[in-house]
Amino acid sequence: MMNFLHKYASLRNFYFLSLRLSRWLVLPFVFTLVYGLIGALWIAPQDYQQGESFRIMYVHVPSAWLSMFVYMNMVGAAVLTLIWRVKLSEIVLRACAPLGAIFTFLALVTGSIWGKPMWGTWWVWDARLTSELLLLFIYFGIIALFHAIEDRRMAAKACALLTLVGAVNIPIIHYSVEWWSTLHQGPTVSKIGAPSIHIDMLIPLIVMSVSFTLYFIIMCLARIRIGIREYDKNSNWVKNLVTSTLQKEHSQ
Amino acid sequence: MTLFPRVVNETTSRELRKTFRNPSEIFYPLIFFVLVLTMFPFSIPPVPGLFNSLASGILWTAALLAISLSLETLFKADYGSGALEVIYLSGADLVLVSIGKSLGHWIISGLPIALLAFPIGWALDLNFLTLWVLVLTLMLGSATMSLTGASISALTVGLRGGGFLLVMLTLPFFVPLLIFGSSAATNASLGIVPEAELYFLGGMFVLSLTVAPWATAHAIRIRLG
Amino acid sequence: MSPRKKKMLTLALAVAGLAIATALILTAFEKNLMYFYSPSEIAMGDAPENRPFRIGGMVVKGSVIREKDTLGVWFNLTDYTNERMVYYKGILPDLFREGQGIVAKGGLNETGLFVATEVLAKHDENYMPPEVADALKKSQKYQNSK
Repeated sequence: MMNFLHKYASLRNFYFLSLRLSRWLVLPFVFTLVYGLIGALWIAPQDYQQGESFRIMYVHVPSAWLSMFVYMNMVGAAVLTLIWRVKLSEIVLRACAPLGAIFTFLALVTGSIWGKPMWGTWWVWDARLTSELLLLFIYFGIIALFHAIEDRRMAAKACALLTLVGAVNIPIIHYSVEWWSTLHQGPTVSKIGAPSIHIDMLIPLIVMSVSFTLYFIIMCLARIRIGIREYDKNSNWVKNLVTSTLQKEHSQ
Repeated sequence: MTLFPRVVNETTSRELRKTFRNPSEIFYPLIFFVLVLTMFPFSIPPVPGLFNSLASGILWTAALLAISLSLETLFKADYGSGALEVIYLSGADLVLVSIGKSLGHWIISGLPIALLAFPIGWALDLNFLTLWVLVLTLMLGSATMSLTGASISALTVGLRGGGFLLVMLTLPFFVPLLIFGSSAATNASLGIVPEAELYFLGGMFVLSLTVAPWATAHAIRIRLG
Repeated sequence: MSPRKKKMLTLALAVAGLAIATALILTAFEKNLMYFYSPSEIAMGDAPENRPFRIGGMVVKGSVIREKDTLGVWFNLTDYTNERMVYYKGILPDLFREGQGIVAKGGLNETGLFVATEVLAKHDENYMPPEVADALKKSQKYQNSK
């Protein structure tokens, strides 16, 4: 186990692994995005209550899912950073934060656009919406702290601690619709028992969620590679990498 | 006093001695608190009674801002003078040091603000139930803020833009306190005894007393490398 | 104090702290911290008298009465045990219809009428095409008539 961790946590190995992985993931991402959009905009029928308006769900739900999924990744990376001092996890933490903030922002905006015609208001201060807004602020805080501390390793450790403190918000977001009588509806997809969404509506939703997740992974890996190059900028392999890229550009 | 471990006592009394040697620092949060309060009558439409009906919420907001800003002083001087490093190297239990620091901070910022809220609220015609609830919730809330804020104060000590950063990082975590603290005072002004809110604030206080000192101790270790 | 003893004491204090905090917070939520009441709770007299609160329930079929020439509307809300009459003056959201779950904010007047200052429609977590919804309704009726 430790051997395995050591091999893939070595920055150099991970760099080239992630390069290969990203190339493999681009095609599935494009495919799921196109298929998901067609499914969301044409194949899925109108909703019995909400008509066409429910289609914003196909952006809203994947964004909201990722806003929390990214944070959970960060919590994992934070634990690895603080307890096992894995260097790679520090880079992952830094790479994730802005992406998480973007998805949270997207979830809030699309939710707001959905709320206006359906609920009758852009915004309510109910538990789900408030806790999601706080998540956005926590992301901003983590990003700001990363930029404030010059020493990269110290910044990563400080942000890891902040990430863990902010993690109390995640279960609150997730269970807010069950604990409190919120205006926001309960979960649809994870509900056990009777199907509460028609299959033609469900498939595009899942495909879109997969697509968004792939997008996150591709973007995150790209940001991680930048991070690795910065961390290891004095090592020979990074120097060689940069020289060979420059040579390629010049010879063209 | 044998109520607290020795390290807590010594840290707290050191904090207090430090502040009383330079008493202007006690007055900064208090003056800021009053200044923020006086901004509201100018910005709210002059509808009779409007300011008074918003008073408890405004008092809570002003207290929240004053305490968030004052958190910066918690570690700044000790970090700058190297005293924090000496404490760290002395092998003292940093968890207990954190509790002592938070307690000291609360005595010089949260407690005076909560007590000052009483005469201000009285001048704004709040009824007695509201006044008591306001003071009690502010005491509980500010103690929770001193405890949880200490960890973020330790993380941001000595950074450029530290003050802004600190307020930006702490405010999201203080939102639940603000919601339930001011709702308690609002309910009290309508004649309802806000049991639920007081239980909630009590719970948050105990939770932060249990968890926050560990986070603060860890934050000190991170910042001192 | 030996290090082992100290560790045990720390652990015990931490567990005790977490337990007390959980108990206090749960007690708080049992006391309806969110000021949200169902018609049954209002019928039992739980709702606060002089504080705005929220009521949630289904709009009773056939109970919606619109005032002539104004935006005023009366309707009954039910939680399938008790009903409460609501009055609201203003523009209702698109999703407001009979049989729909809604959340209204306001307070009770002397006659026990809930006067709402805001009405929000809560849509459920079910999504289906209209034909399926119709078919579901028919099959339910079929089962009920059996």
